[in-house]
Amino acid sequence: MVSIKDYDSDIENTWCPGCGNFGILAAMKDALAAQGIPPEKILIISGIGQAAKTPHYLKCNLFHALHGRALPLATGAKIANHELTILVNSGDGDCYGEGGNHFMHAVRRNIDLTVLVHDNKVYGLTKGQASPTSDEGMITKIQSDGVLSETFNPLSVALALGAGFVARGFSGKAEHLSKIIQEGIKHKGFSLVDILQPCVSFNNINTFDWYRKRVYALSEEGYIPNDFNKAMDLSKMWGDKIPIGILYQKEKPSYTDKIKKLKESTLISGEYSQKKVQNAIHSL
Amino acid sequence: MSVDISVKIGGEAGQGIQTVGDILARVCLKCGLYLMAINDFESRIRGGHSFFQIRISDKPVNAPNHGINLLLALDKKSFDLHEKELVKGGISLMEGVDTPAKKNVIAIPFLELAKESGGKITSNIVAAGACLALLGAPFGVIREVITEGFASKGKDIVEKNLNAANAGYEAAGKISYKFAFKWKVSRPRGILIDGSRAIALGALAADCRFASFYPMSPATGIMAHLASAANEFPLVVEQAEDEISAVNMIIGASFAGARAMTATSGGGFCLMTEGLGLSGITETPIVIVNAQRPGPATGMATRTAQADLLFIINASQDEFPRFVFAPGSPAEAFETTSRAFHLSDKYQVPAIILVDQYLNDSLFIAEKALKAPGKVKRFIVSDNDLKKPAEYKRYALTNSGISPRAIPCNGRAIVMVSGNEHKEDGHSSESAQTRIEMVNKRNAKVVKMLFEINPPETYFPGSKILLAGWGSAKGAIREAVDMLRKDGIDAGCVNFNDLWPFPAAATEKAFLTCEKFYMVEQNSTVQLGRLIKEQTALSYSGAVLKYDGRPFYPVEIADGIKKYMR
Repeated sequence: MVSIKDYDSDIENTWCPGCGNFGILAAMKDALAAQGIPPEKILIISGIGQAAKTPHYLKCNLFHALHGRALPLATGAKIANHELTILVNSGDGDCYGEGGNHFMHAVRRNIDLTVLVHDNKVYGLTKGQASPTSDEGMITKIQSDGVLSETFNPLSVALALGAGFVARGFSGKAEHLSKIIQEGIKHKGFSLVDILQPCVSFNNINTFDWYRKRVYALSEEGYIPNDFNKAMDLSKMWGDKIPIGILYQKEKPSYTDKIKKLKESTLISGEYSQKKVQNAIHSL
Repeated sequence: MSVDISVKIGGEAGQGIQTVGDILARVCLKCGLYLMAINDFESRIRGGHSFFQIRISDKPVNAPNHGINLLLALDKKSFDLHEKELVKGGISLMEGVDTPAKKNVIAIPFLELAKESGGKITSNIVAAGACLALLGAPFGVIREVITEGFASKGKDIVEKNLNAANAGYEAAGKISYKFAFKWKVSRPRGILIDGSRAIALGALAADCRFASFYPMSPATGIMAHLASAANEFPLVVEQAEDEISAVNMIIGASFAGARAMTATSGGGFCLMTEGLGLSGITETPIVIVNAQRPGPATGMATRTAQADLLFIINASQDEFPRFVFAPGSPAEAFETTSRAFHLSDKYQVPAIILVDQYLNDSLFIAEKALKAPGKVKRFIVSDNDLKKPAEYKRYALTNSGISPRAIPCNGRAIVMVSGNEHKEDGHSSESAQTRIEMVNKRNAKVVKMLFEINPPETYFPGSKILLAGWGSAKGAIREAVDMLRKDGIDAGCVNFNDLWPFPAAATEKAFLTCEKFYMVEQNSTVQLGRLIKEQTALSYSGAVLKYDGRPFYPVEIADGIKKYMR
C-alpha cells in the first residue's frame, strides 16, 4: 500500500502562497497513491518554470531539465526503458512556447508520457509576461498595448495532431484532476492534461473565482470521450462555460509499441554481443 | 617498381561516379594495392559537378595527390575543369565517337557500347571497364567485384553489368598507357572504410544503445550506417525534429541507462550547446560527433574544414569538464569513438569527437583489424553496490569528483537530477557554499581525466623543424614530412588526436628539442596553434592554412613549409 504521505518531500516550497500549483501537486500525489506507484517507481521530468519545480516537491525520481526540452528528454528516457512510468510537469510557456516544436512531435510519436501542463496563461517565474495561452488583449508590463497574437489552443492543436488522450483539468478541483491524471497514466500513449491554474501574482483575469464560475465537469453530463468532432467543438469552448475532463481518448499503439525489438526487452536490458559487432566489421 | 597513380572520375551528380569509384577501389583492394579516395560533390542530387579521386599505390597512402594520371571525364565540364591537373603522360578518357584533336585524350563511345551490352544505364560501368583496362587490371578481378557488387540485384543485372564492363575493357585494352602497371591478385591490405562507417562501428563496439540526430551533412552518413545495422543490435536510431531535441533525447536515454550518441555538423552543434551544458551540469554521459564543414551558418554543406576546435572546447555558457577528440583516420575514428563512450561513462562528462567531411566521406584502408571488446564495462551502480540505497545521493561529494551513478526506477535508490545548480541529493540549491562545492566537484574530475589523454603522436620527433596538426590532416602532414625529408629538410611532425583536457606537458615534451614548429590546419586563424600558445610556454613560428573547403594535398603543405625555409 502506498499512501499520499509517502510522496512528501522536505524541500522548501518556493511557490507564492495560494498558487494554483498546490492543487496540482496534491492531485499528483493522490493519483500516484491511488495507482499504487511508489516513489521509487515513478520518474518525473520537467522543463523550466514554476511548474517545472514540481518534482522537487514530491518524493520521486526526477530530472529537472531545460526550458522547453522536457519532452525530448522524456522521449529518450522512455525509449531507453519503456517500462518506466513517466510524468512530465511543464507550463504553458515551457510546453507551448519554448518547447512548441517538441510538443508537436511528441504528440505525433504518441510516446507514452503523461504530460501535465500547468497552464496559468502567463509567465510566472519571469514575472508576468504574456504566454502563448494568454488571452488576446491581455495587458502586461511588456505587452502594454495588450497581447496582439491569437491565443494558442493546446487542446485543439493536440486533437488536430492526432493525440489519443486530450484532457483539461482545473487546479481548484484536485480530486477531479487526480482522476484525470490516473486515466492519463493508464492510457498507453501520449496523454495531454492541460491544467487551468490561476496565477495569484501575475494573472488577475483568470482567477480562482473566474474559473469556479465557469468550469463544469464533462463526466457529470455523461459525456463519452470517443467522438473526435465533439471533442474538437469542446476544445474551442471558452467563456461562460469551460468544460473540464477527458475530451477525447483513443487507444492506439504507442511509439515504443511500434519499435519491434522492444517487444522482447527494454533497450537497457539488451545484451552486448562482441560477435555481432565483429560481424558488422567483417561485412565491409 | 613503384606505383602511385591518381584517377579522377568526374561528372554530374547522378551519373554513377560513386559506382565507378567503388568498382575501382574494390578491384585495387583485391589485388593487394593500397588506396585512398576522396569524394567531392556539391549540395545537390542531380547535375552540377562531382568527382571521385582515387589514389592507387603499392605503399600506404593516407592523403590525396594533387596530380592526376588518368582523368575519366563523364561530361565535358569535368574535362574542362580538370585537364590542367594531368601530370606529364597522363591522359583523359571521355565519351565520344570521333578521335579528338588532342593527343592525350582518348574517346570511347561509352553510351553506344552500353546500349549494345547492358543497356544505356550501364555506361558508367563501360567507363569503369575502360579505365581498369588502361591501368592493366586483370578482368577476372573486375568480374568478381561486379558479380559481388550487383549480386543482390539478381543474375540478369549482374550479367548486363559484366557485359558492359567487358565492352569498356575491350575498347580500351589495346591502348598503350604510360602509367599501366603489372597487377597481381593478392590478399587485401586491410578493410576499405570511410570515417562515417568507422564511427558507427566504434559506437557499436562501445555498446551504444540509442542514437538520435537531425540530418545534416556531413554527419548523416554515421547515422545511416548505424540505422542499417540497428536491427542486429539492441539499438534504436531516432530521427529527431531538430538538433535540440536530438541532444536532449540522448541525455534522457543516457540518464535512463543507455549509452547514447548524436552526430551533427557545426550548425547543428550550435543548437545543441544548451544541451551540452545540461549534460555537463547534470553529469550525464553523452557522445556528440561534430563532423565539421566550412561555416558559419550554412557555410558549405558538402565541403571540409577544421575550424570548430576552439568553439567546441568552449561551447556552452560557464565551465565544466569535457573530452574532445579529433581522430586522424578511420581506424583512429573507430578506436576514438569507443574510447569516447568509455570515458564519458567513466567520468560522467560529455565527450565530443571532431571529424570532418574529408574524413567522413573518404575511403581509406585500415590495415590493423578493428576489434570489438569482449565485454563493455559500465559505470552504473545499483542497490547492491550501495550501503544505504534509500539515502542515495546522485551528487555525493567525493575526492575524485565522480559520484556513484544510479539509474532511475532501478531499486530503492531514488535518482534526482537537476540542470539547476543542485545539492548532493540533486535538489536545486542557491546556496553559495553548495555552488562552490559543486563547481569544484565537477572540476576535480579533470585531474584524472588528464591521465586518460594520449600524448600527440610524433613522426621523426627529434627533427629540427616540426609540423603540427590535428584530426584528419594527419595523413597529409606525414606525407609532407616525407617530401621535406627527401629534399634534405630535417622535418618531423606532431599530430593531436586527444585535444581536451589539453595535454600541455606532453605537448611541451613533443616540441622540446625542435628549433621551430609550424602549424598545419584547415582554418584561417591557427586554432590549435593558439591553443598551444595559451596552454604551454610554446609559440609556433608559422602556419600553413587551408580554408577553401577542400582537403590538404601533401605538396601544398610541403611547399608552404619550404617558404619559411628561404
